[in-house]
Parts: sequence; structure tokens; C-alpha cells
Amino acid sequence: MRGLAGIYAQQFKVTMASFIQYRAALVIWLIGHVLEPLIYLVVWSTVSRSAGGSVGGFTAADFAAYFIVLMIVNHMTYTWIMYEYEYRVRQGTLSPDLLRPVHPIHSDIADNLTSKLITLPGMLVIAVSLGFIFRPALHTVLWAIAAFIPVVLLAFAVRFVIEWTLALAAFWTIRTSALNQMYFMAMLFFSGQIAPLELLPHPLRVIAFVLPFRWTIGFPTELLLGRLTPTQTLTGMGMQAAWLAAGLVLMRVVWRAGLKVYSAVGA
Amino acid sequence: MRFLRLLFVFWRIGILGELSYRSNFIFHLLESVLELGTALAGLAVVFSHTSTLGGWRPDEIVALVGIYFLVSGAIRMVIQPSMERLIEAVHEGTLDFTLTKPEDAQLLVSIQKVEVWSITDIVLGAGVLVVALVRLGANVGLWEAAAFAASLVAGAVIVYSFWLMLATLAFWFVRVENMLQIFSSMYEAGRWPVGFYPRWLRFMLTFLIPVAFATTVPAQALAGRLSWPTLAGAFALAAMLAVLSRVFWRVGVRRYSSASS
Amino acid sequence: MAISPAVDIHDLHKTFVVPEREGGMRAALASLVRRRKQEVKAVDGISFVLSPGEIVGFLGPNGAGKTTTLKMLSGLLHPTAGTVTVLGYVPWERDRGFLRRITLVMGQRNQLVWDIPPIDSFELNRAVYRVPAAEYRRTLDELTELLELGPLLKKPVRNLSLGERMKCEVAAALLHRPQVVFLDEPTIGLDVTMQRRIRGFISEHNRRHGATVLLTSHYMADVEALCRRVIVIHHGRLLFDGDLAKLVERFTSHKTIVVSLGDCGADLSPYGEVVSCTDGDVTLRVPKSETARVTGRLLADLPVMDLTVEDPPIEEVIDRVFREELS
Repeated sequence: MRGLAGIYAQQFKVTMASFIQYRAALVIWLIGHVLEPLIYLVVWSTVSRSAGGSVGGFTAADFAAYFIVLMIVNHMTYTWIMYEYEYRVRQGTLSPDLLRPVHPIHSDIADNLTSKLITLPGMLVIAVSLGFIFRPALHTVLWAIAAFIPVVLLAFAVRFVIEWTLALAAFWTIRTSALNQMYFMAMLFFSGQIAPLELLPHPLRVIAFVLPFRWTIGFPTELLLGRLTPTQTLTGMGMQAAWLAAGLVLMRVVWRAGLKVYSAVGA
Repeated sequence: MRFLRLLFVFWRIGILGELSYRSNFIFHLLESVLELGTALAGLAVVFSHTSTLGGWRPDEIVALVGIYFLVSGAIRMVIQPSMERLIEAVHEGTLDFTLTKPEDAQLLVSIQKVEVWSITDIVLGAGVLVVALVRLGANVGLWEAAAFAASLVAGAVIVYSFWLMLATLAFWFVRVENMLQIFSSMYEAGRWPVGFYPRWLRFMLTFLIPVAFATTVPAQALAGRLSWPTLAGAFALAAMLAVLSRVFWRVGVRRYSSASS
Repeated sequence: MAISPAVDIHDLHKTFVVPEREGGMRAALASLVRRRKQEVKAVDGISFVLSPGEIVGFLGPNGAGKTTTLKMLSGLLHPTAGTVTVLGYVPWERDRGFLRRITLVMGQRNQLVWDIPPIDSFELNRAVYRVPAAEYRRTLDELTELLELGPLLKKPVRNLSLGERMKCEVAAALLHRPQVVFLDEPTIGLDVTMQRRIRGFISEHNRRHGATVLLTSHYMADVEALCRRVIVIHHGRLLFDGDLAKLVERFTSHKTIVVSLGDCGADLSPYGEVVSCTDGDVTLRVPKSETARVTGRLLADLPVMDLTVEDPPIEEVIDRVFREELS
């Protein structure tokens, strides 16, 4: 356990140092994370105005609240691990990682969390600023805020495991971008980033319930906004746990298979 | 003209080189279709809840999406690859070779690379645009078509100059590839009429990162909504940025010529 | 009626300002606020003249100022002080006429486009340099023959070995028949055979076309093979400019004596510095003035089968020059 803590601490230092060096990259990423929910915020607010004030139970203020919270939740749970692995496999820098006596996922998690330590404050500032501009309707309940903490942690875990497993596709093909694209498209729709899931037609809502995407972003967002009943919350957490379990199993299988392929082809 | 001859030579060789990689084409097509599909599906969800959006009809927004993809394809095909290569060349020092050639260096770095398969975006975008126009039963008369073409040209010059200025930053900073990302990130907003956004964002998308001139303005031209002042403004901005980017480029090269070892 | 020089440098200086930073977190944070700068004198007052058609070797260790000088000659760098004329032009004015008459080959860097066959990169150069079709054909055929490029031309550059790539690089640089050729470490990283081939080509090309060649290298073999005249640079200053033979004479204070004794048993240290012993051949290093005396004693005292007196290898000479800066 001491060893793991050491790894996390070391990765913390490395990530911090590289961030200070490459400050511009930081700002650019933040822009992307802010702009997308902002775009949909504006679009749906426009829709609600064009439709006479509200759409599907969402007023412009509701949309503002939804997308601002979504922005934060997305930022808390996001990873860039697919690009990371595609790069590592292509450059051949994965081999030294594999030689270490610790599973590479730990330094990946550490890197992810450290980066967020740096960027999350900035995002919160932006969220508050957007709050002043768009006047979101914020009404939530205390238990929802308390429940949010385990829910968002679970959401991060589910998303990380799934995206980490997806990243391993780099072992098999260099054409990971097509695969990533498919993943992102599905994610956009079924996680609630394009529209609150309540606004999707019924068949799509059912699909969204079954797929893991909602449980990574949409669900924590809906919870924090006080839009869910306790029962729905518990069901959601159940889905998160189920997907985490499934994801972990899948991850082990794919990791073992990937290692075989990687060492066969040449490290 | 000399410029056209060089353009032809560079592009011909770039395109011919890629043509043998059919699998690249398939994958590119797949990604383009996915992206376009998502955009249109998103539109469908939006328009399942309302019949007009901020004064725009559904098919007008579809036309905008078509233009968005068309322009995006053009950027990814002829502007982005060269600018990315330029940044590499500055850092690797291979720009030295370009600077010892008896041709204008800005010209050489701007035409050096072509991403052939992005033509799928151009084709798909054009297809969507045509379908939308047909469905609109649009009266696209001579004026509208001319204004459309003119605003596209102005938009192209604006976008190119902007990208060149971003890439020129490589003479001063290390991780400039990320800067190029700024445009791609902000460009996302071009899928919707820029008029929807609050004033401060609209300003940014018009004058800071020229998305509006690349997508909304041409769309307005086709829909007959383009006012003369806006079109004139586009040309003025295009001319100004063309000059500014050239000056900036020369400053950058001058710095490179004093500092590199 | 003097022939105007191809290259004329007078009191050339180039100083760089370099940001400096130490490692560690605190220094990283400090550099956010204020960057410390340091002045580096890359070229510190050099002057020389090259006549048309000369092949001159520009020798110096890494960081000596060779590449910096070359870049100022090709117009890539502005000097801090001093004057440079190449073919009558001022290089950094980047006159089109000037650029059409020079070429630059850099050992570690490629101008060939990575994904396409060399022949296509050649076409690009032809268009840029406006080489007429017939002349291009002729030059290409000649280069293909001299460098044995035949099977390489149509393969994508990334599929070529390092040596094959270098040959194509050199060819690409010469397609427009430049009058002045700048070669910056052209043989670096190549195997011995390929190095020899490139050298042979440069020499033959110079013989046929009379281009002025300035070749920088830290391989003595390059310079020995190609250049009668050598310019030595170190710490941005010229240490020597003249015949290769005189270089050795000027900078050596010692001679090498190789004695064949049959075995390595004997201890020859009383005679001089023993450098090595292989298969009974003992290599001794003795001061120049002692050579005759030591030779005599060796012949008298030992069962010598063979004895030669040599200049130390030029590498050694240069190495000592760089390390001790003998002047």
C-alpha cells in the first residue's frame, strides 16, 4: 500500500510540473469543456423561448442550471486516456510502463486526478460566472447534495474503467479514432449532453437507461439538480454499481488479451 | 500565374500520394458519417420540441449544418495539415529548408500538405446543403448564390489568416499544436446560427475566433438574410487579416532568423 | 584581375540570448514569474574567404559554431555583427537570385517529404527552383547514376534506410545545380561504406561542376578525404585556416613510433609513453624533438623487426587542439 501511495505522490509531482510548463494546453482544454454545454444551453433556451416558455418541464432557467451542472460533472468525470494510449502504443513508450511491477492504471488514475486538482477550480469559477450570466434556477434538496458525492465518485469510476478499457483497443489497431468517434457519439446522446434525457423520445430513453453513459454524467447531474426521487437515485446507484462491476470484468479480460497481443507483435 | 502553378504541383503530388490508401478513405468516411449523423440527430431532437428556432426554420438550420461540414472539410483538407506541418517544421528546424528556397516562404508552408480524405466532409456537407435547399424550395437566385460564393471566399481568407497567425506563434512558444485546437473547439459553435448566442459570445465568435464568417454568414447569404453591411464587413475583415497575418508571419520569421541555433 | 570570392566573411559575430532554468519545482514556479537569460557567444569574430570551386572543410567539436556560421552563410540567421557576402549577395536579404544558386544539406534533418517517393519531392523542388524540363532530366539522370538511386526513387521515403535517404537528400539538394553547396554534417549516423560513397560523390560532383563546397563535420575522415583546405573553429573562434598537412605539423608536438617486437612482454616505458600493444606491435608516443634519439636507442637495444615513425592520427591532433586550445 505504501508503494501505491508513493506512485500517486510521484505522479502528482510529474503532472504538476508538466502543467506549469505547458499552461496553454490547459486553457484550450477548458475551452472545449465549457463551450459544448454552453452551446446546448443557448440552443435549448432558445427552444424554450420559441416554444412559449418551457419545453418538457424545462424553462430557460432550468436548462441553464442543467447544463452548467452538467459541465462540472462532465469535467469531474472525464478522461483522455484513449488518446494517451494510442500515443503510447504508437511511440512505443508503453513498454517501459509494462515493465514496472505495478499495474499502469494507477499512474493513469493519479495523473487524471492531479490534472483535475488544477483545472477544477478554474471550471468552478467559470461555472459561477456562467451562473451570473444565465441566471439558472437552482432548487435542490440536502439529501441530494449528500448523495451526490458517492454518486459522482461512482460515475468517475464507471467512466474511467470503461474508457480505460476502450483505450486498450490501441493494442489491436491504430485506427482507434473511428472507434473513439463511435463512443463519443453514443456518449453525447445517451449521457444527456445533447439534451436532458427526459426530452428524448421514449425508445431512446429506454436505451439510455440500459447503457452506461447516463450513469456517468446525466444521472449525477439530475440528482444534484433535485430532479430525482430517492427511489430513482437508489436505482441509479444500482446501475452504476452494475456497470462498474461489468466494466472491471471486461477490463481484466481485455487487458490480458491486449498484453498477449502487444508482446506477440513486439514491445 | 506562379502561385497557381505551385499550388497545382504541391496538391497534385499530395493527393496522388494518398490515393493508394483506400482504407484511410473508408475510415474517414465512417467518421464523417458518424459526425454528421450525430449533428442531424441532435437537430431532430431539438426540432421535435419546436417548429422554428429563433426565427430559423428547420431546413435552414440543416443547410447551416451542411455549410458547417463543407467548410470544416475544406479547413481539414487544405489549411490544417499545412499549419500543423509548419509548427513541426519550426520546432524540428526543417523550416530552414523552406527558408533557403527561392520562393515566398509563406506560400510554401501554406500549400505543403493536403489531407485528401477530408473531401468526404466537403462532399457530405455539400450533399446535406443541397438536400436542405431543395426541401426549402428555396429561391436561390443569382444574388443569393453570388453573395454565398463571395462570403465563402471572404470566410476562407479570414479562416486561413487566423490559422496562419496561430501557427506563427510556434516561433515564440513550444506547445502551439494545442493553440490550433482553439479554433476546432470554438468552431463547434458554428453549427448553430451565431445570432443565438449571447452578445459576448457572439463577439468572440465573430472577431476573436472567426467562426461566424465561416458558417453563419454564408448560410445567411443563401437564405437571403445577409445584409450588405455584413458582407462588406466580411471583406474588410478578410483584407485586414490577410495583411495582419502576413506582417505577423514576417515578424516570426525574423525572430526565427535571429534566435535559432 | 582577381576572381571574386564565392564566400567572403569578415569579423563575423553571433550572440544568442538563452533562457536558463534549473530543475525542480521551485525553479519551475519561479520561471512563471521571471525568466533568467544568459548570453551565448556562438561565433566570436571569424573571417575567411572561399574561392569558387574550393572544397573546404569546416572542422570543430559540437557547439563550436560551425552550424551557426553555415546558417549565416545561407541566410537563415542574421549575424550580430560583421559582414558576409556569398556570390556577391548578402545572404539574409534572401534575394531570389541568391537562393537559386545555393543549397543546404543537413545531416540530421530531411527536406524530403516523408510519405511520398523521392522522385515526387524532386518534382516539388524542380517546380520551386524553376528548373527547365530538359535540364532537370539531365541532372536527374546524372545524379541517379552517380548515387545509384535507380531502385530508390519510387519508394516512399519512410521505407528507405538512413543511408538511402541521405543519398536522396543530397540529390534533391543538387537538382538545381547550385554554385555554392553547404553541407552540414552530411555523413553523420551513416555506416562507413555509405560515408565513403557520399564523399566520393561530393568529390566527383565538384570535379565535374566546380561548385564551391563548404563541409562541416566532426569526422576527420570526411575532411581528410575531400578537403585540401581546412578551417578549424572552436568556441566560436578560428584556430586554423590552411592546408590539412600544415594543420598536423602545426599542432603536433609529438610523433608516434610503432615498433614490431613479436610479443608484448617487454616494458618500453623508459623510451616514451606507451599507448598500446597489439600482437607485438607497440605504439609509443614521443616528443618530436626526441624522435631521432629514441628511434636510435630502440634499434640498438631491442630485437626490432619493424619500425615506423608516424604523425599521430589527425583525430588525436584535433582532439588535443580542442581540449587544450593550442595556438
